[in-house]
Amino acid sequence: MLAQQLLNGLVVSGVYALFSLGFTLVFGIQRILNLAHGAVFMTGAMVAYYTVDGGGPLWLGFILAIVVSGLLSVLVEIICFRRLRKTGDEEFGGVVSSIGAGLVITTIAQQVSNTQILRFPFETFPVVIFRFWDLRVSMLQLFMAGAAIVMVLILGYLFYKTAFGRRVRAVTDNEHAAMLMGINPNRIYSQTYFLAGALAGAAGVLVGLAFNSISFVMGDPYLMFGFAIIILGGLGSIPGALLASVVFGMVQTLTIAYLPSGLTDTIIFAALFLILLIRPHGLLGQEDAGNLGGRR
Amino acid sequence: MNSFVAGYIPLFDLYCLHVGLALSQYIVLRVGVFSLATAAFAGIGAYTAGILAVDLGMHPVIGVIAGTATGMAAAIFLSIPLARLRGVYQAIATVAFIQICLSLNIYSENLTGGAMGLNNIPKTVGTLTLFIFAALATYLIWSLEKGRIGRAFNTIRQDEAVAASLGISIRKHQMLAFAISGALAGLFGGLEAYHSYAIDPKQFGFHLLITILSYVIFGGRNSVIGPLVGAAFLIILPELARPLAENRMVIYGIMLILVINYMPKGVADTAIDALKARKLKARGAASS
Amino acid sequence: MTALQLTNLSKSFGGVIASEAVNIEVPAGKIIGLIGPNGAGKTTIVNLITGMLPVSGGTIHVGETDITHAPAHEICRAGLARTFQNTRLLSEASVLDNVMIGLHRHETSSTFAALLGLPSAGRETQELRTQSMELLDRFGLTEFADYPAGGLSYGHQRKVEMARAVATDPDFILLDEPIAGMNDVESDALADIFRGVAKDGKGVLLIEHNVRFVAKLCSYVYVLDSGRLISEGAPDHVLNEPLVISAYLGGDDA
Repeated sequence: MLAQQLLNGLVVSGVYALFSLGFTLVFGIQRILNLAHGAVFMTGAMVAYYTVDGGGPLWLGFILAIVVSGLLSVLVEIICFRRLRKTGDEEFGGVVSSIGAGLVITTIAQQVSNTQILRFPFETFPVVIFRFWDLRVSMLQLFMAGAAIVMVLILGYLFYKTAFGRRVRAVTDNEHAAMLMGINPNRIYSQTYFLAGALAGAAGVLVGLAFNSISFVMGDPYLMFGFAIIILGGLGSIPGALLASVVFGMVQTLTIAYLPSGLTDTIIFAALFLILLIRPHGLLGQEDAGNLGGRR
Repeated sequence: MNSFVAGYIPLFDLYCLHVGLALSQYIVLRVGVFSLATAAFAGIGAYTAGILAVDLGMHPVIGVIAGTATGMAAAIFLSIPLARLRGVYQAIATVAFIQICLSLNIYSENLTGGAMGLNNIPKTVGTLTLFIFAALATYLIWSLEKGRIGRAFNTIRQDEAVAASLGISIRKHQMLAFAISGALAGLFGGLEAYHSYAIDPKQFGFHLLITILSYVIFGGRNSVIGPLVGAAFLIILPELARPLAENRMVIYGIMLILVINYMPKGVADTAIDALKARKLKARGAASS
Repeated sequence: MTALQLTNLSKSFGGVIASEAVNIEVPAGKIIGLIGPNGAGKTTIVNLITGMLPVSGGTIHVGETDITHAPAHEICRAGLARTFQNTRLLSEASVLDNVMIGLHRHETSSTFAALLGLPSAGRETQELRTQSMELLDRFGLTEFADYPAGGLSYGHQRKVEMARAVATDPDFILLDEPIAGMNDVESDALADIFRGVAKDGKGVLLIEHNVRFVAKLCSYVYVLDSGRLISEGAPDHVLNEPLVISAYLGGDDA
């Protein structure tokens, strides 16, 4: 049974990784906590649903979800953050502004979906169960894990092996110096937000398929889990977010399986609170941004 | 005419309750702490008051006092770890605190009624009581603001190093702000419990956090007028145009984005600043 | 005779020594200089004295009070005020308000009275306003009282900061590069203010980059290089020492 739980946990971890990578990416380059990220995630699931509902194939819904979520994320950056970064009030203002964007997106989704929980038609994704040893794995789980791995690899390649990744790092280090070298920071930001949104949208579709339940509030718990993951991994750290997603997915699956139900959230957020106090810079984060120096 | 007034009484009740909570949010922002925990303190106060009345049949005065005290105690307790964090880390930690309170609340079914909430609370608080407490809270914050503590709060928010160099203890003042914030939230949470027959956990979650924060951002966070104006505007606005009422949260969302981008000090504070500048200019012109 | 006294003050950052066995004495009523080339460790000394950095070894005393490990806000209460390298005023607050917060440590109305807006608190605020206006008058800033401090010229901002430090009624004042970026007229005006403060019996520790200014103003000078004191004495004497000259010529552009 434990092996089965670990396997389930791993699949869940993949979805968390897709969600929190974009979350942490944006914080890494702009020091902005984008609280609209959960709404972007939800939008991905909605787009996929309505594509299938309108008669389109699932693969088309998946692609549309990625594109629309990516563009929505870019829009959030332009409307909510661009001006704030100029005035230098992006830390506080960014939180407020993105809460606003999240509200607008979720309320529109609520109107569109009539406050209903939406479900994909039966067999939208073929129900096939593989058994080996004592474990059960569904085709959907394999697809989820596969999709997560592929996308994480693509992201890793983009960031660490291409000119685009170097430009992102240059802008992160010093926006002004990067501009002098002919890099257009706003373009880099738009590209990064697109990636972040696309990953969140993909995660939304996968979660929608896995639980076959899509609603306008589905982003809220993921935003909360996202907090826990990116704090655990160290705000802004990509490898940290990956590692933290796995740890978090495992711990969550195991606490749900073996501890009194209902206490899961308490444990998770109490742990988040403790981590903030003991290691505000997370498992792999380096700088001590959250802590105060000096004699107090 | 009477029915016209009666129709707006619930709105006025809501305004009084939310003014108290907005002031609770306001006072921590004013001392430079990015805490969003007011919703949790309000929940703690409301449940303390509610449980005392329903399970133990206590007098509402005792219930409200106990709610205020527990809200304040929770806030003081939370301020200790928060003092080690700053900025968005404080925001995340306080959101985590809200989640912990929420899930503990749902879990402790025997005590709190779980997800179904606490029902059959005797209604003992009316419009007049709410108004008196809202007025008292406003007076309290206003008088604090114009004296020694208000000046110390301002200094800490704007520059902690300067504050310390002038002998202002940052930790002490932030804890004081938290204590006031928790007490106000607990008080108005307790009043809400005695005013609305029933309370449930979801009432004190993310939604309330956003509503309260919107008031303060919209109105302004540097003078006591800010939360008062913000709450008035955002509560009345959706009522004026009925189609808007259904989309209340869209309005809040758009307002948050617009105000923080284009009028970051909030409507009331921007107006106050403009008035001050005009006065100075007029004086300068007169003297030269 | 009371003094601001650094005894064997040391600081190391994970094995790297930033200050080593620094001994400095600032007697009441005197202006004492601390100079040194860029990177000599002046800022570290400032941060150690003002409580921004934990001390590794040695002690700091303000008169009888040991402030070696005191948090920043208690240092002010012990009687040591400071100014900042780049003026740090509350830019949106009025000049008057900026000076009034300097009086914070002398406010006596209880928290309770302040909370409830009792008359005693209101009277105190009125009194502080009067005192602050007197200070502004002394610094020639009366006409700016109601203007936002951020809108003032650089020289005037320096004066406001100085008035704020004096408002805390300290026994000693630490001045961290007070004339950086100023022209001669402005710095002469400030020099007069510093002399006046010393005349009132306060000890002044002037940490400066500008050797000429220090020589003009100080009765006694310490020279810091690579975290250690390499010379001390009367300005004429110290500034002619070969070791000091080579320290400045070796690693500095001033």
